[in-house]
Amino acid sequence: MVRAVSAAETAARTYGWAIHAEALRVRAGRRMAVDGLDLSLDTGVHGLLGPNGAGKTTLVRSIATVLRPASGTLTVLGETVNGRIDLRGLRRQIGYLPQEFGFYRRFTVREFVEYIAWLKEMPPAETPGAVQRAIERVGLADRADDRMKTLSGGMARRAGIAQAIVNDPRLLLLDEPTAGLDPDQRLQFRALLRELGTDTCVLVATHLVEDVAAACTDLVLIDAGRLVFQGVPADLPAAAGEDSGSGDSAAERGYSAILRRHREAQP
Amino acid sequence: MTSMDEEALVHRIARGDRAAFDELYRRTSPWLAVRLRRRCADDELVAEVMQETYLAIWRAAASFSGASVGGSAVGWVWTIAARRLVDALRRRAREGRLPLATLAAPDAPAAEDEALEALLGAELDSAVRLLSPDLRAVLQAMVLDGLTVRETAVLLGVPEGTVKTRARRARIALRRALS
Amino acid sequence: MNDEKHVPAAALRRYATGDPRSRADQVWAVEAHLELCARCRERLGEAVTFHSPETAALVAQVQTRLATEVIRSPQMPTYRMPRRVSRWAPPGFWARLVMTLLVLGAAIGLDLAGSSGLPPSVVLLVAPVAPLLGVAAVWSAGLDPLHELVVASPRAGLFLVLRRTLAVLAAVIPALAVAGWMTGASPATWLLPCLAFTAGALALGELIGLRWAAAALAIMWTVGVITPSVLTARAPWVLEPTSLPYWAGLIGVIAVALALRRDAYKELRSDSWFVR
Repeated sequence: MVRAVSAAETAARTYGWAIHAEALRVRAGRRMAVDGLDLSLDTGVHGLLGPNGAGKTTLVRSIATVLRPASGTLTVLGETVNGRIDLRGLRRQIGYLPQEFGFYRRFTVREFVEYIAWLKEMPPAETPGAVQRAIERVGLADRADDRMKTLSGGMARRAGIAQAIVNDPRLLLLDEPTAGLDPDQRLQFRALLRELGTDTCVLVATHLVEDVAAACTDLVLIDAGRLVFQGVPADLPAAAGEDSGSGDSAAERGYSAILRRHREAQP
Repeated sequence: MTSMDEEALVHRIARGDRAAFDELYRRTSPWLAVRLRRRCADDELVAEVMQETYLAIWRAAASFSGASVGGSAVGWVWTIAARRLVDALRRRAREGRLPLATLAAPDAPAAEDEALEALLGAELDSAVRLLSPDLRAVLQAMVLDGLTVRETAVLLGVPEGTVKTRARRARIALRRALS
Repeated sequence: MNDEKHVPAAALRRYATGDPRSRADQVWAVEAHLELCARCRERLGEAVTFHSPETAALVAQVQTRLATEVIRSPQMPTYRMPRRVSRWAPPGFWARLVMTLLVLGAAIGLDLAGSSGLPPSVVLLVAPVAPLLGVAAVWSAGLDPLHELVVASPRAGLFLVLRRTLAVLAAVIPALAVAGWMTGASPATWLLPCLAFTAGALALGELIGLRWAAAALAIMWTVGVITPSVLTARAPWVLEPTSLPYWAGLIGVIAVALALRRDAYKELRSDSWFVR
């Protein structure tokens, strides 16, 4: 399919990080849920860990450009999201699965993903192929034309992942994507994550330490809106050090030990 | 059946016509196989990609009806296949085994030059010929195969920045050769 | 593309066999041509059969595998519901629209049952707030399960809100027209306030959220105009024909205010009062 290649497409990348936050503060309701966060992430699968209320969802929402930061800088794919920028162009390169994921129950999986593809302003000629590809990649090809209300929770969430990747985004934000997935589906999901992580920046917010440890190239641990730890999954058991934290696995023990140490060190 | 064009075949496939599906396969699979084999040295991978492509066509034929836009009769089949190839290569890249195509050897003269020049245009012909294989591969992936920069990077197994640099150099070289 | 010129046989054979001696530009020309020319694809098939046994074997192998896969793969249905309408009126709407029509029906009933034409006309009183039931559902987290995805999408913004609002008006205005005709009111007396309140809800919605804006305006109108008017059995001065120019002016001002704010409706609300 012969096509024209624009100059913008081949212009050199001007930014260093896919996500770059400096002293980021984002409000959620009355609280400052993200409170002075510094973070730099690029290609790869990054796990975002933290206890409930740590600010994970708020952080993911601000990167998805649906929440405006209160202060600090946040640069997403080279665009600073505080200023007056073209959100449309930026959002076309982002895929987002919110934590509270809802859908139209009478729509089929295909119709749902097609609707999202329309919201993402994908060219109509490309949409059927992209929708089919996304549905196949998440393993829902056999259920593609069943209504969303007939799907189990895990399958519905997979449809949610399909809508997030339909536009082959450069930046993929998944907030609790494994909720409701059974162990086999989780394995398939991790394989998909690894595939995506080869050339996409993927941020997976989850409270399940094991998911993250298995699939991610690196981990970010936040608490009370601040960065606590950033490193590779193998560092978790090591970081526990002398203290034996609580948890069933070495990763979980490392995680709770790091968290406790951080909290004790707070003034 | 043989008098129908591909568009009509897809229309029939959408209604479950196996004969139409087999006919579409007969007409397009040699072309697709040859083209894919030129981009990927692993025949097993090519077979996998072809299987996925035709399966996708079978499953979603109703949404591909009317898809031959932009003047290309089977370009949309290629688009499906190219994207599946990129996905498969991404999976292999993650596992560390990347089967790349061998780049075409440079320029041995052949008898049918003039006839082929008519197909592409004489100046563009010689301009493309003058490009180095690296640059040509990038241009082929992006212009002829319709891949994005990221997909080209996966296909060729080089970083994205390299793809962009080569694309820019190729454009400069072509512009110089054509002017 | 010149259809009389086809790929010469030898070049096609070299292409089919993957001969490394073919020049890159020739390959390029052949591939570009093959996408368009069924005849040459047919000839390529023959060349593969005769000259490239590996490719032919590959093609046959895939065909065998496909035979089993295709049997067990369900196909997409050929008839599908026209979901394009959801680009204008998402599924959450319909309940709201039905409610609105019921309200209008009740208003007509009251007007006809009472002495028709005498102030206050219930239809005229209700007209400004009739669309607000539907408008509240246009951009609301509680009423649209996809709300966060919609807000996060490239298409989010005032245009999408306007598109959906138009769907609401497309349902409400004809109903109002019928109601107005049945009760003998002139069109402008219900149309202008109706549009003004709709536009006002959209403008106010940028500040406090569309759902609350619609609710606030509806309450304000009910308390401030409908209730006194019903209690005193007098038509309110805001609905007199002399006030129509003011309504028109108000619509103009609000429209300009809307047009100036480009960034509206692109983010979630995170105000302290309306936390999600």
